[in-house]
Amino acid sequence: MTATPLLKVTDLAIEFSTPQGRVRAVDGISFDVYENETLGIVGESGCGKTVTGLSLLGLIPSPPGRIAAGSIELAGRNLAKLDEAAMREVRGGEISMIFQEPMTALNPVFTVASQMTDVIIRHKGLTRAQARREAIDMLGKVGIPAPARRLDDYPHQMSGGMRQRVMIAMALACGPKLLVADEPTTALDVTTQAQVIELIGQLQREFRMAVILITHDLGVVAETCQRALVMYCGRIAEQAQIEPLFRSPRHPYTHGLLDSIPRIRDQRLTQLPTIAGRVPDLLNLPPGCRFADRCTRAQEDCRTAEPELTQAGQSAFACYHPIGHQPAEPVA
Amino acid sequence: MELLQFSVRKLIAGVPLVIGVTLISFLLMVYFGPDKTFDLLGKNPTAEQIAEVREQLGYNKPFLVRYGEYVRELVTFNFGASESTGEPVTSLLARTIPVSVALALPGFILGNLLGVALGLLAAYYRGGLADKFIMGSAAIGMSISFLIVIIAFQIIFSSSFGLNLFPVRGWDVNSIGDYVSYVTVPTLATVFVALGYNTRFYRSVIVEEMSRDHVRTARAFGVPPAPLFYKLILKNALIPIITRIMFSIPVIIISGSLLLEQYFGIPGVGKATYDAIVTGDQPVLKAVVALTAILLVIVQLLTDILYRAVDPRVSLK
Ligand SMILES: Nc1ncnc2c1ncn2[C@@H]1O[C@H](COP(=O)(O)OP(=O)(O)O)[C@@H](O)[C@H]1O
Ligand SMILES: [Mg+2]
Repeated sequence: MTATPLLKVTDLAIEFSTPQGRVRAVDGISFDVYENETLGIVGESGCGKTVTGLSLLGLIPSPPGRIAAGSIELAGRNLAKLDEAAMREVRGGEISMIFQEPMTALNPVFTVASQMTDVIIRHKGLTRAQARREAIDMLGKVGIPAPARRLDDYPHQMSGGMRQRVMIAMALACGPKLLVADEPTTALDVTTQAQVIELIGQLQREFRMAVILITHDLGVVAETCQRALVMYCGRIAEQAQIEPLFRSPRHPYTHGLLDSIPRIRDQRLTQLPTIAGRVPDLLNLPPGCRFADRCTRAQEDCRTAEPELTQAGQSAFACYHPIGHQPAEPVA
Repeated sequence: MELLQFSVRKLIAGVPLVIGVTLISFLLMVYFGPDKTFDLLGKNPTAEQIAEVREQLGYNKPFLVRYGEYVRELVTFNFGASESTGEPVTSLLARTIPVSVALALPGFILGNLLGVALGLLAAYYRGGLADKFIMGSAAIGMSISFLIVIIAFQIIFSSSFGLNLFPVRGWDVNSIGDYVSYVTVPTLATVFVALGYNTRFYRSVIVEEMSRDHVRTARAFGVPPAPLFYKLILKNALIPIITRIMFSIPVIIISGSLLLEQYFGIPGVGKATYDAIVTGDQPVLKAVVALTAILLVIVQLLTDILYRAVDPRVSLK
């Protein structure tokens, strides 16, 4: 890729102060997002996906959290340096985020109309009547039948799938350049999951925006993303285009995640992907590679120094002994 | 229509509560309350005198018959006359309840409004200096006894050792000016003491609400702090706030604030109830108990209706 990225995250580190000490939930990650592309961020629960997404909107709960290092550039502007008032303009205007839990993400005591029009009025400076028309229009676009009628519903009058559609409508109402979708389908039933994923893909093309799709489900990534980051324990384990990532994963962790896909399909998503062993405690990280204790390919050097993310061929990965037998340098 | 049906249903459902409360209270009054026979007769009465007085007081009838009379009195709202003063109970209540309400209302309203405002402020700056200052002051307010606050405020505001601005005792209210002069010091004392508890409660309610997912959503869509707190968070926090406020209403109307009424010499219902308990004045006590139970039912009904007004998920079914 030679185009300038829409979003450029460089050496981002996010820290939380806990009673037991400081933890780096995200520890020096860098990635780019280009216009009109969908980037997947995958990894097990607790690896720092949500925190990464929140940091893009300046929403790390503080205290206890803070951005400890790095820059987040949106179209050349460093968001990590913006003040709160300027950041509020970005939120919902230039970057929108939708969340995992549609059942609780909307305010239960206000109508959908009130919540949507507030956002539209704030960012677009329309009158309430105009904002209402826009809201109805958006609800129609996300496939809510009889949108003019549903607009005045309260969230509890809608199903989970509908509420997630409302969230998407709200997120896209002000034409953001980037949509961050944090496990948007995890809380939904299987049929609705497919519909919502399909909807996000279709709207991404229609609005020509960039999407960061956060998920622990590699299957979803395969269907929707052009590129993906695999995160492990606050770091990027591997980053590649979807095709090479799925065909020839280099990092043993990626390989492990891919291996667990058939299992989840068989068990109808009753269980998250599992790899033997446990994620290390962020308070008590091993000196070497964070994945070493669970890795079948780990050797002596893996336990002494942490591998850096290195570009090799079509992927970048942080591993001394990657799958594929090639040494960690460019291949033809 | 839905509201009317709901109200009727709710009031009917409140009948057992009223019966339960009055029955138990009356049981306690009859078997554990003071026996007025000997107060009235003095020393060395004859057996006939005792029997006569007990007959007059109705003590000789079976309990259920006496309770039946109580229920009749309750339904007709005619409890007879006070045994101590001979004043009809209804006129006693009509005289004292408005005084108690007038005495307590300003402190109640101010204490809650300021409590919500300070709770919001402390929650917004939680962990910061403003929060620590507000919560520290609340802890101090809570740890000083009401009695000491009353006496201290009387000295500060109403004595020649202090500002000497207001009357110390009494309730001779003929104009707004009189009212203000009599109500100010009790109100200040009430607010001083209640504010600590209220602020602490409201802060915890609001902090809990701040951790909800929908608050994160609102922030993710750029909602500024003012509407976030005063509109989105506050409306969600209203359910526990309404509960607290509504259920302190019977306390104000019926028991008044005994300490305030006593130390400021104010003829409110709290003082009247206290006197009735001490002298075993059953007609007054029966009326107060019945009124409390009825008020509780009405407050529950109003609370449910307010819940519905605030939270669309609550149904009046
Ligand atoms: N509010 C918080 N306080 C302290 N630590 C937190 C907080 N939020 C997240 N973390 C830390 O960040 C890590 C990553 O969390 P998260 O981004 O939610 O993971 P994911 O979304 O990948 O499941 C957690 O394991 C935890 O250690
Ligand atoms: Mg998450």
